Amino acid sequence: MSITRVNIGPIHPSTHGVLRLVVDLEGDTIENIEPHIGFLHRGVEKLVETRMYMQCPPYMEKIDYVAPMSVDELYVAAVEKAMGVEVSEKAQYVRVVLLELQRIASHLFWVGSICNDLGQLFTTFMWGFRDRDMVLHLLEIATGQRMFYVNMRLGGLSRDLPEGFGEKTLELMDYLEKRLKEYENLIEKNPIFVDRMKGIGRLSRGDAKEFGVTGHVMRASGLDYDVRSERPYYVYRKLNFRKQYHLSGDNLARYEVRIMEIKESIRLVREALAGMPEGSAAGMPIKLITPNAKNRIVMESRENPRGEEMIYLVADPQKPYRLSIRSPTFINLAALNHMARGSRLADLFSIMGTLDLVLADVDR
Amino acid sequence: MIYSLAYLLNSGNIYYEAAGVVAYAILVSILIFAFSYLFGWVERKLIAKMQYRHGPTYVGKYGILQNMADLVKLLAKEIIIPENANRFILLAAPILLVAMNIFLIFLIPFVPALQLGSFGLGLLAVFVVLGFTPILIFLTGFSSGNKFADISAQRSVLTLISYEIPMIIVIATAAALAHGYSIYSMVSAQSGIDFAFLMPIGLFIFFIAMLAELERPPFDLREADSELIAGWLTDISAPYYALFLLLDYSRMFLGSLLISIIFFGGWLGPAFLPPIVWLVAKAFTIAIFITILRATTMRMRIDKILRIGWIWLMPLALINLIIAYMLLL
Repeated sequence: MSITRVNIGPIHPSTHGVLRLVVDLEGDTIENIEPHIGFLHRGVEKLVETRMYMQCPPYMEKIDYVAPMSVDELYVAAVEKAMGVEVSEKAQYVRVVLLELQRIASHLFWVGSICNDLGQLFTTFMWGFRDRDMVLHLLEIATGQRMFYVNMRLGGLSRDLPEGFGEKTLELMDYLEKRLKEYENLIEKNPIFVDRMKGIGRLSRGDAKEFGVTGHVMRASGLDYDVRSERPYYVYRKLNFRKQYHLSGDNLARYEVRIMEIKESIRLVREALAGMPEGSAAGMPIKLITPNAKNRIVMESRENPRGEEMIYLVADPQKPYRLSIRSPTFINLAALNHMARGSRLADLFSIMGTLDLVLADVDR
Repeated sequence: MIYSLAYLLNSGNIYYEAAGVVAYAILVSILIFAFSYLFGWVERKLIAKMQYRHGPTYVGKYGILQNMADLVKLLAKEIIIPENANRFILLAAPILLVAMNIFLIFLIPFVPALQLGSFGLGLLAVFVVLGFTPILIFLTGFSSGNKFADISAQRSVLTLISYEIPMIIVIATAAALAHGYSIYSMVSAQSGIDFAFLMPIGLFIFFIAMLAELERPPFDLREADSELIAGWLTDISAPYYALFLLLDYSRMFLGSLLISIIFFGGWLGPAFLPPIVWLVAKAFTIAIFITILRATTMRMRIDKILRIGWIWLMPLALINLIIAYMLLL
């Protein structure tokens, strides 16, 4: 049989951005996939070399536009490490609450879009968006912005949590738990969904290690690695955090890991809110920063919604001398060819969907 | 008015009959357009409600003119034909496709008194012409010179061989119960009990096959938007796309009409409403059920459809046939 070469993207309904895949098909079976990236390359890493330290967070947030706060926080944490700034305990708790909320928002977005990739007519997509927007509303109450917050300051946050934030959050967490049951009824009890997800895009434990995939892709393949528990930062050490992982390594496993992570995040938010100490979470106002890099070279990593994101920072007194980002989606995309080879064309999009690509994060 | 039309058609005078045919054609065309238009609106609103949205609201009261606005927009656009497309087929096949499907609706007697199209093998004729649809879709996709359309065309043929045979077996079973392929005998045989209760398995098979025939989820493989962009419609220009929207909804009308005629007693119903209202109301209910399915299910994969067709639907259709013959004996 002859091989058909199909060019998918950079403009295609299901590539979640500007990803171009050159797919070789034999009949309906995928022979080879060649991803072409770089359509969204902004050169952020070079750009920040010309900016003062606290001018950079807005650029960082656009790296992962689905979970902006997590990258922002990672960058600020790296700068804090370079300057030797301590984060107050209250600020640690607040950061954990906000980051977990951001994770819930990002995961809800993903739950909707994976059903879209499987060919559902936007129903779960809309449900996910609606619930995500409620979480974003909470973040707006806390930070003043709906999506791009820029609320991290050295040693804390731009401002303390407002009055009544805790009650509103707990209310929403109860609501989300109810909604997760509805998702289960709509999605997991649908035999077509299980049929399309189970055993598709399998990535074995060994291959997951070889490719160095991170985040839920790795945890779904049986590697129980989570930065929050391996190298715990902030108050994750104190909180009763449990890693979520699965053994089968297929699409369904990745889906289940993510749903379990949402539940775990809901639990973490509740726990962190209950243990929140008194005091102020406010960090240094930007104008008062006296640049004083104690450590020249720092490396910081965080468990972001999409996996382990790392920043390597060579610090000059005034601004970053060199900043490099290891983005999780770029690493995960590398495994796509291996995961999707031999499966049907229709399954390519669900496999790509479970990787949860954010092309801005891939290209930077 | 309907009865004067019936009088015209049965008058025996060739001029009167011709006038009757023209009047009937205009009437049914209005019905098709009205159904397509209204159903398009109902579908948008219903799916929006299921997704916590409002749906169209701005154009007209409750957004009822939104589809008209969309139609005007589509018709005002330019026709673009790809360089390596087969120009003749690409332009002719869609028109043939739409004309054929609208012609099929003419074969369905909306009013018992109207004799047009009610010849002895009426139902069989409908399915024979309906069987040409995937072939025309294949031609359209194949001639547009786009790889996505090409894959979609191949899928179209693959699905055809999986659902068409069980569907024809079910129709044969229904015809055996009704003692004939005429639509009249089909409906009048259900004056006692609907075929839906006599052969529930048959209804199940026919419904699934009809979903595949109408390209409705979970069987919308041909225009799988998340995989093949728009499938065989990828390189179709806007005015033609408007035609295809009409085609989509008129086929939906046809499909639900066929289900209501074969399984739910067609125009039969309590006498407080005229028969035509019963028929259209039944079709509308079935169409809404299909819409709810559309909003909730994911798409099946092509090899699974083949498996369902041959491993499940085919034996079930035969079992249904055997049960029906036992009922006849």
